[in-house]
Amino acid sequence: MNAIQKILLDQIDLSDETFSVNFMPDLQSLRSSIEKIGLIQPVLLRKKKNDYQIVCGFRRIWVLKELGVFEIPAMVFEEKGPSDLELFVLSLQENLTTRGFNAVEKAIALQKLIHRFQLEHSEGVKTYLHLFSLEPNEKILNTYLSLAEMEDETKRFVLKAEVSRSNIRLLAQMSSEDRMALLPFLSLLKLGENRLREMFTLLSEISRRERISIKGVIDRPDIQGILSQKELTPIQRTERVKRVLMNLRHPKMKQMEEEFDRKRKAFNLPAGVSVHHPPYFEGKGLKMEFQFESTEEYRTILSYLSQLADKEEFKELIQDPKSEARNSKFETISNDQISNVPNKKV
Amino acid sequence: MLPFQIERIYLDEKAETDWVSQTILKALPEVPVERIGDKRILIKQSHPVPDPIGTGKKNLLITHFYGRRLKPCPGTSRHICCGYYVINPITNCPMDCSYCVLQGYLNNPFLTLYSNWDDLLQEVESFLAIGRPPLSRLGTGELSDSLALESIFPISQFLVPFFAKKNAILELKTKSTEVEHLLSLDHRGRTVVSWSLNPPQVIEEEERGTASLEERIDAAKRCQEAGYPLGFHFDPMIDHEGWEKGYEGLINFLFSRIDPKRVVWISLGGFRYPAQLKGIAEERFPKTRIFLGELFPGGDGKFRYFKTIRVEMYRKMVKWLKQVSPDLFVYLCMESQEVWKEVFGWSPQNSQQLNQLFEERVREFLRRI
Repeated sequence: MNAIQKILLDQIDLSDETFSVNFMPDLQSLRSSIEKIGLIQPVLLRKKKNDYQIVCGFRRIWVLKELGVFEIPAMVFEEKGPSDLELFVLSLQENLTTRGFNAVEKAIALQKLIHRFQLEHSEGVKTYLHLFSLEPNEKILNTYLSLAEMEDETKRFVLKAEVSRSNIRLLAQMSSEDRMALLPFLSLLKLGENRLREMFTLLSEISRRERISIKGVIDRPDIQGILSQKELTPIQRTERVKRVLMNLRHPKMKQMEEEFDRKRKAFNLPAGVSVHHPPYFEGKGLKMEFQFESTEEYRTILSYLSQLADKEEFKELIQDPKSEARNSKFETISNDQISNVPNKKV
Repeated sequence: MLPFQIERIYLDEKAETDWVSQTILKALPEVPVERIGDKRILIKQSHPVPDPIGTGKKNLLITHFYGRRLKPCPGTSRHICCGYYVINPITNCPMDCSYCVLQGYLNNPFLTLYSNWDDLLQEVESFLAIGRPPLSRLGTGELSDSLALESIFPISQFLVPFFAKKNAILELKTKSTEVEHLLSLDHRGRTVVSWSLNPPQVIEEEERGTASLEERIDAAKRCQEAGYPLGFHFDPMIDHEGWEKGYEGLINFLFSRIDPKRVVWISLGGFRYPAQLKGIAEERFPKTRIFLGELFPGGDGKFRYFKTIRVEMYRKMVKWLKQVSPDLFVYLCMESQEVWKEVFGWSPQNSQQLNQLFEERVREFLRRI
């Protein structure tokens, strides 16, 4: 490498991004710094046959070009000097000391190391993940490699929403078309990290259960109907969309819930009284809650509740065996069959 | 035949002179052997491995185990259990089923065989000597497939004659065809050979490294001809598209080859899993569809199919089985009294009562055959 030289910007090939990992760079602060005090640190270039290749300093060169500067201080590597990989690692190290990398830039850097510079995965895990403050784990490497393959729109979303690695993995399992359909959908909702994971999981599982694309799920009229209601807040929209998705994901549960609600409504509970089934209808019995503000109200509720026991709808709701026998949805097992199931008489 | 090639044997110095170890080394002469002084260091050094479960199917660790290897089946709280005991001579399994709960429990990349075999037999001997209920049932299929390592170390050759002299029942539970060593043994009806069964589509998609349905039933037929009592476990039953056709076809196919009179018990169990399994299994089996059913957490924290789904599956299975023979002894594994009642119209009062029913069943079965 030679001493610092002045190189004309026109002689630098801006289209050669061999050593660049930039994604959504914030040039504003760099621009104001250069405007105020000029360029402090020279860029690194490599001499090519007719021009120069940028090794390190893409952002500085872009800003200087914008500012109408003609030449730039640079240290220049000869064409037959260090290898591409050596220069790339040098560029990474140099950037780490000055600015660090966002998640997408880490992904691009790792992708270049593995695919462009042909490093083994194990070498990537062992030698390079720690450069980006990542644990040396193949799963993490694969997560970043999958992010690097995603569309720019998705990458921007990952950065903006600070999407976690586990959610990046869920995004990576989707098709490009699905991800592109997902972005406008997500922009209308209010989702933190856990809710986002829940949403991805629901969409992906419904899509696989029903054998339709995630886009197909999002495009359903009931979901689009909720999304188009402008009067709803993002939180309200999120809740309603989630309810629709839960029902699609668990149709039998939804059917039971509806049945339970229908029966519950049939006996017109007074205000302040509520009935709950066991969680997921596993187990028997009901939980009843009531709230009152006066002894009079208390007496009214008790009087109502005491009459409730005689109502058929109520017996049905608590799955009273006598009532259940009449209402069983399943085909009945004959006495012959029962008597032989583990040799036990009923 | 092992479903996965053993690539390396780690031999604990303490186990080096055991006859079990020597038998295995003779059976796998071309596999490199690494001698180790302290298995804890080996296990510590083995981390992190991207897929410890998958890796563990190729690394055989032969060592000693000094704790209890015979325990009551862990069962599950608030459910009826059958009073079974488990013996664990091996941990980890060379087969690779997407739904296997071991994926969530085992934390080291080794298929481990405990070679202090005489200690194990002594443990079983002591257990049976202290006034256990007659015909107690013990099985080796909890932490591994009972017959999976038969080709390198025929455990059955030692366990079957041992139990033949006891007033207890050994169950060898498998998804393999490794029955060759069993056929000539004098079992005196004290060993039940049993198979976990699923429709061919489920076997193909979810039970990697296991024998096909046809192969399993052929192996069962050979055991039937050798006079062994047979058991079948429709567990885990998977709710999938066309499950009714799949399971009814499976029952018909099974009993076109197997005499129902030779079947001592049949269990039914819907797919269930502890919460931590889903993430691990989905990562190892990205195409699996087992978690796409309607599964919810129960009182014991395990996820199960929605109750109406389970009851419907069990009822239909019971109906199809009873059409084959009303004398088949069918029970539910890890289910609540409520589900028992909905399926059979009655329920054991508790796990103890189910255990008694088993005892009666086995006694009656042994008298008859």
